[in-house]
Amino acid sequence: MKLQNIWFVVLACKVNLYILEYSIKYIFRDKYKNIFIVIVMSLLVALLAATLFISNSMKAKYNSIIDNYPDIVITNQKALRDSTIDENEIDKVLTLKGVTSVVARVWGHYYFLNADKKFLILGRDEFETYFNPLLNQKMNINKESMLVSKDVKKILNDNYYKKYFNFIKSDGMIEKVKIQNTLDLDTSVKNPLLIIMNKDLAKNIFQYKNSEVTDLAVSVANKNEIAFIATKIKILFPNARITIKDDLRVHYENIYNLRSGFFLTIFIITFFTFFIIIYDKVSGLNSEQRQEIGILKALGWRVSDVLNAKLYEGSIISLLSYILGISFALIYVYVFNAPYLKDMFLNNYNLLPDFKIAFTMDYETLALLFFLSVPIYIAATIIPSWRVATLEADEVMR
Amino acid sequence: MFTNKIFKLFFLSALFCASLFSYPQISQDIKDKKIYPIGEKIYKSKCSNIDTAKFKTYDALVSSLESKKSCGDLNKNHLQALSLYLWDVKRHNSKIYPKLTVTNKDKCQVCGMFLHHYPTWVSRINYPNGETYNFDGMKCMFKFYFNNKEGIKDILVQDYYTLKTINARDAYFVVGSDVYGPMGHELVPFKDKKSATTFSLEHKGKKVYSFDEVTEHMVRSLGM
Amino acid sequence: MIKLLNVSKIYDKNVIALDDVSLTFQEGELVVLKGVSGSGKSTILSLIGGLVKPTSGEVLVDNKKISKIPDHFVSSFRQKNIGFIFQKYNLISMLSVAENILLPLAPLNLSRLEHKERLAKVLGLFSIEDKRDVVVKNLSGGQQQRVAIARANINSPKIILADEPTANLDEKLSIEFIEILKELKSQNRTIIVATHDPLFFELDFVDRVIEVKNAKIVL
Repeated sequence: MKLQNIWFVVLACKVNLYILEYSIKYIFRDKYKNIFIVIVMSLLVALLAATLFISNSMKAKYNSIIDNYPDIVITNQKALRDSTIDENEIDKVLTLKGVTSVVARVWGHYYFLNADKKFLILGRDEFETYFNPLLNQKMNINKESMLVSKDVKKILNDNYYKKYFNFIKSDGMIEKVKIQNTLDLDTSVKNPLLIIMNKDLAKNIFQYKNSEVTDLAVSVANKNEIAFIATKIKILFPNARITIKDDLRVHYENIYNLRSGFFLTIFIITFFTFFIIIYDKVSGLNSEQRQEIGILKALGWRVSDVLNAKLYEGSIISLLSYILGISFALIYVYVFNAPYLKDMFLNNYNLLPDFKIAFTMDYETLALLFFLSVPIYIAATIIPSWRVATLEADEVMR
Repeated sequence: MFTNKIFKLFFLSALFCASLFSYPQISQDIKDKKIYPIGEKIYKSKCSNIDTAKFKTYDALVSSLESKKSCGDLNKNHLQALSLYLWDVKRHNSKIYPKLTVTNKDKCQVCGMFLHHYPTWVSRINYPNGETYNFDGMKCMFKFYFNNKEGIKDILVQDYYTLKTINARDAYFVVGSDVYGPMGHELVPFKDKKSATTFSLEHKGKKVYSFDEVTEHMVRSLGM
Repeated sequence: MIKLLNVSKIYDKNVIALDDVSLTFQEGELVVLKGVSGSGKSTILSLIGGLVKPTSGEVLVDNKKISKIPDHFVSSFRQKNIGFIFQKYNLISMLSVAENILLPLAPLNLSRLEHKERLAKVLGLFSIEDKRDVVVKNLSGGQQQRVAIARANINSPKIILADEPTANLDEKLSIEFIEILKELKSQNRTIIVATHDPLFFELDFVDRVIEVKNAKIVL
């Protein structure tokens, strides 16, 4: 008896080619219906996969961008509008325990009328350490020069500024700044029109007086303490707007949160459609199919053989759909950069106006979709047949 | 009247000269967090060959830097930062301990937990023969310490606020605060008494202890 | 040897198909079960083939109590020993002749060569070689029956059970069937035919005729 049991299990593990053949022919006997199922299921898998790929990729991207933000930013406000802050306020912040360093940042935008473009200017002191790795690179900027990104260089060139540029200050005076070099920027994110120059020069162009700076960037070593220190800073600077890095993260989490409206709609539609397919399968077999199982039993097929046939049938369809769906999603997202669907994710409020989706092997998504689709479909195929197969063959054939 | 003017002039110029180079009064916090880092950066990038032992006074150092331009042309702030850094930090060459880093596989010697989940709580005990033991938190470290007091070379912990590695024997610990470590209630370490007291006030700590004041009973009462 | 010992079969709704029937069949016998529809003869076949289990009593084939063993082993037993020819043929109409005939062999996982040989033998035996790849639904009644017979013989069973085999055939085809039956008998198989076709009752190569009436054997 025991030997036979083991033999039974072994049989179940090995693929019986003849039963496989039977399953394949069975699938083709209902050709159009099965093709329809494969197409629909592939599309469902593809839609979900593409959505998850894009979303995960964006999350990774914005997380890495936010990593380069300061832990806390103090922006002074006058009449609830952003204003400049005095550099010497740094000393107040430094007395707080837990604050590792504070940088007085000078940065802002400059509007170039002729080209109708806004440049982002970042001021830099060569002995200060910044959050943005771009500013920490070893680069020597002359006091009267600036570094520009490739896009800026092109715009200036097009407007006949080849070796220098004339900034027009708010008092009408002109500041001539030489173009020292072009910057190499990460092209996977759409970059702003970037200019890096000496802090003092930037202060000059923005016409900051004395010790005015744009804002203070605070670094806190122990992340546990950030919220605490932010509260203390709020008390020290009652008129200031305090931005905490983690809050930014939460804010963008919410936008890309998988529970938000857009995703929810997609998921509901997908699951509903899938449910319909499964329901059709589970709601039982028609009399012809039941009779066929009865015939097989009468011919000497055991229950395990019948179930094997159903297993192969379900596996072929669901695995095929899964592979097709994933392949389609991979190509759509990583080769064609997900047109139309990507636009659903991007809007005016986000961090990433336009970007090329980086390729990552998103194993979690692949596994998730696999276990959501394949075993369920296989179960839906096997279960109704199980009942029929265990009945006495004679009854079925009557 | 003429002598008055000369006297005033003399007095003012003396004052002026005195204020030119004399050692500036700046709080330690500001020096640590703002001035030394800038000074260090200037030193490393422009003149790492300066021998600070050559100078007997702060003023001598400053005037040498300014006249010889050994570190290039620096503005007033940068010059001060560099000078203070060289005078205070470089001269004393005070002991800086390396950051306590752990790999994915390192476990606490006492409780066996993986350390890389809580990198800010890692503590370490070094022996002269090179043996080291890591712990997650102060409780485990103290438990080990009380059973193995002999022959230890250093006990290193991370200051809560700055996460810099400090000598535990010079540190201060706060008990009963609302900040929990990986094993629950903890002794939170600080590099000086002022930091410990500030923390204790803000996080409802019960008491501040120096290293020597910590007893085995105290550690045990914090629970597992 | 096949034995039915005090077998009763009651379907739900209290339909008594068999009432305390005891029968013995020897090896190599050709037995005809005579009776009208609903008399219980088809049930006897189903019991011997293990397609149903009796409500009471035992069915033994070669001293194996097939009424008592689990379904898995009954199927195996059926696979090796029984060839069933159904009244309605019960072929899979969308499959070809060859595919239908080979169906019983699938679970055994024999070699392709073996399949080919057995198929060829059986096609020749029942004269349907030229219809090998024709889809069954395109065949006539008589041809389908031959396919059914071929299928029942593919595993060279010791026992052949035929349930109203000529019910859907005209006289000519019925006589052809009887010829095939003669051929099978000469191979020393145990053959049991349940029928109410009078053509069977006067055959000289039939060993026994058993009458079944109202769920009982008429002695």
